[in-house]
Formats: sequence, C-alpha cells, structure tokens
Amino acid sequence: MTATAFSYVPGEHEAEKASNSYLMSMVAVVAGLPLPIVNVIASVIFYLSNRNGTYFVRWHATQSMFSQLGLGIFNSVSFWWTVSIVFGDENVSNNYFAYLFTVVIFNLIEFVSTIYAAIETRKGKHVDFWFFGGLTHLICKP
Amino acid sequence: MAKTLLQGFILILCFFGLFFALQQVDFVTLFKVKKISDTTEKKLGEMIWQTIENTETVVENDSVNELIDKIVLRITDKNNIDRDKISVHVVQSDEINAFAMPGDHLVIYTGLIASCDDESELAGVICHEMAHIQQNHVMKKLVKEIGLSALIAITTGGNSPQLVKKLAKELSSAAYDRELETEADRTGVDYMIKAQLDPEKLADFLYKLASAEYLPEQFYWVSTHPESKERAKAIVKYIKDEEIVKKTVLSKTEWNYLKTAF
Repeated sequence: MTATAFSYVPGEHEAEKASNSYLMSMVAVVAGLPLPIVNVIASVIFYLSNRNGTYFVRWHATQSMFSQLGLGIFNSVSFWWTVSIVFGDENVSNNYFAYLFTVVIFNLIEFVSTIYAAIETRKGKHVDFWFFGGLTHLICKP
Repeated sequence: MAKTLLQGFILILCFFGLFFALQQVDFVTLFKVKKISDTTEKKLGEMIWQTIENTETVVENDSVNELIDKIVLRITDKNNIDRDKISVHVVQSDEINAFAMPGDHLVIYTGLIASCDDESELAGVICHEMAHIQQNHVMKKLVKEIGLSALIAITTGGNSPQLVKKLAKELSSAAYDRELETEADRTGVDYMIKAQLDPEKLADFLYKLASAEYLPEQFYWVSTHPESKERAKAIVKYIKDEEIVKKTVLSKTEWNYLKTAF
C-alpha cells in the first residue's frame, strides 16, 4: 500500500466522497458481521452510485469495491465452512482453524489498510493498494 | 498489467503460504476441541441414560446380560472395537427397538430380542447400532437437531430435564439421515461378516418387520428406519459376492432361554 500523487489535486468534496467509499465498507463490516456479504454489497452500491462521479471518487470507489470483493470470496468460504460445522456434518479440524486464522489475519490487514486509505484520501492524498490499486488503474480511466 | 498480475500472484501465494504455515499448528489439541466434545458426549450419554433408567425398567437378569454380552463380545473382538468402551443396556419393553446414545451407550429393548428368530438377526441390529456409535453418527445427529452450543449448555450446568427427555425420545424414535443409515447398514454388515455372523439374517429381519405382522406401535426399529425393504435388498446385493463363514455364538438352549426370558 503506497500513498502516491494523483493526476490532479482533488477538491475538498471529492476527497470526502472518496474517503466515504472506504468508511462505508468499514462500517458495513462491523454492522454485517458475521455475514461476509454485507460489506461487499455496501461497496458495490457505493461504486454504482458514484461510477459517474469525478475520476478521484470513481477510482477510490472502484479500489474499495475490488478489495472488498477479493476478500469477500475468502470470507464466504470461511462463513459456509463454519455453517457446515455448526449445522452440518463437518467436523472442526486443524485445516478449519488454519483457514479461519488466515482469513482473520487478511481481514485485519484489510481493515487497517481501509482506515489508512480513508484518512489519507480525506486529506486529498492518493492511496494505491497492493494488487487492487494496479487492477483499478487497468479498469478505471480518467 | 504484468506488475498487477505478479502482485495478484504474490498475494494469493501469501494467503496460501500463511494457510499452509498455520496448518502445521495442532489447533484441535491446542484449543482442547476433542476433549470438550468427548466430555460433552460422555456427560450427555450419562444424562440421557439416567433419564431412561428412571422411566423404564432395566433388565437386571445376569443370565440375559451375559448372553447379550457374548454376542457383543464376538462382534467387538473380531472387529477390533474396544468392548469396555461400549455400555450395553437391556430395557424391558414391548417395542421392537434398539438405539445408540452419546457416550457409546447401546440400548436394546426386550421386544426386539423376542421378535428375533435367530441370534444373527439380533446381532445384525446390534452391529447396525454399533456402526452408528463407531462412526460418530449419534453426535452428528444431535448436533444437527439442536446444535453443538445447546448440547454443551445442557452438559455444563443448564439443568434441563425436559430437554434431556426430548433427546432420549429423539434418539429412540427418530431415524438418522438416509446417508448415515446406509453407511451404518454397510458397516454393520461388514462387522457381521468379520464376526462370522450371517448378514442375510439382518436382511430377513428387515423384510419380516416391514411386512406389517406387528402392531404399528411395536415396530419402532423399522418405523424409525424407513424403506426397510429397499435396505434389505441393498444388503442382499452388498453381500452377494462375499464369502461368508457362519459360526453361531449361542447354543440353541442359550438362544431359546434369551428369547423367552421376558
């Protein structure tokens, strides 16, 4: 994750909106626990409602959505694995714990990154996530 | 583009690398998962058995228990099952029933013994229930029905005799999933073959009870085990090519005594 210069200096209103894209997914994570889908839906809705916004807002809404989607896949696996243990025939195993903790660690990294991105973008600074930033650059054009 | 792909690849590699590293940790032992579930199962078994003991008449006749034990011993010995682990109880009741309980308890109703024409029929039912025990079907069923947290709550202070009674009823009068029943049938038949008992007799027993010659309230083991005829057919098909050695456990006198002891 790196804070770099953007192609232009975003205005105050843009910075606030871009920051909101991260804040929204973060609040949704807390509100939606343990369902891993709520934060993904929140970031998708935010993206859809801002896809015609300014480049800075659009870019960060896209990055936020991608990062949530990426993690959402892994979270869904852990969620359904847990469901099958609690309600199904599956047993608690070392593999389950290993997967669960891996997902928790990645979620924590994502959570911290999201807070950092929300703060930095609020200041009008541009933040590139590892991989998701590159992916956003490929898709989101000025 | 190449840089992004590389970053994606590294990210996935990090995820699975961390997953692999964490797999090396024995979390199940670390969190005492097995101990908790074993203790829960044992405690639950004791509580359910106590409820049955208080509401039903347990057969204390040593001769009967010794003869049942002879059959059970043959099955456990030949199948490398720890005999001491399983508690077998004979209960006085007209119901044609037998069922497994948590904590490796096996309950046999006298109605079942009286309805068997051959020791292998009885042994077949015992093998089937023992397969449920060995494959942990009992806890799987209860976890599915009321949830693991509720089971732990019952055993760790929640004084809930009504719920324990409900569990006892659930175990004695409700079938397992079809998949688990089929698995128990097959494993039960394998136990019988290894113990030199005739598995065809289990199929005969299922046929016999399915052909409504008993009162509906009597044949619990069949009503809780649906599709008996299909199961009997599946057993016959399963053992078709097996070479079966048959060796009786009880003498004719012993069997006749057991059948008429109630």
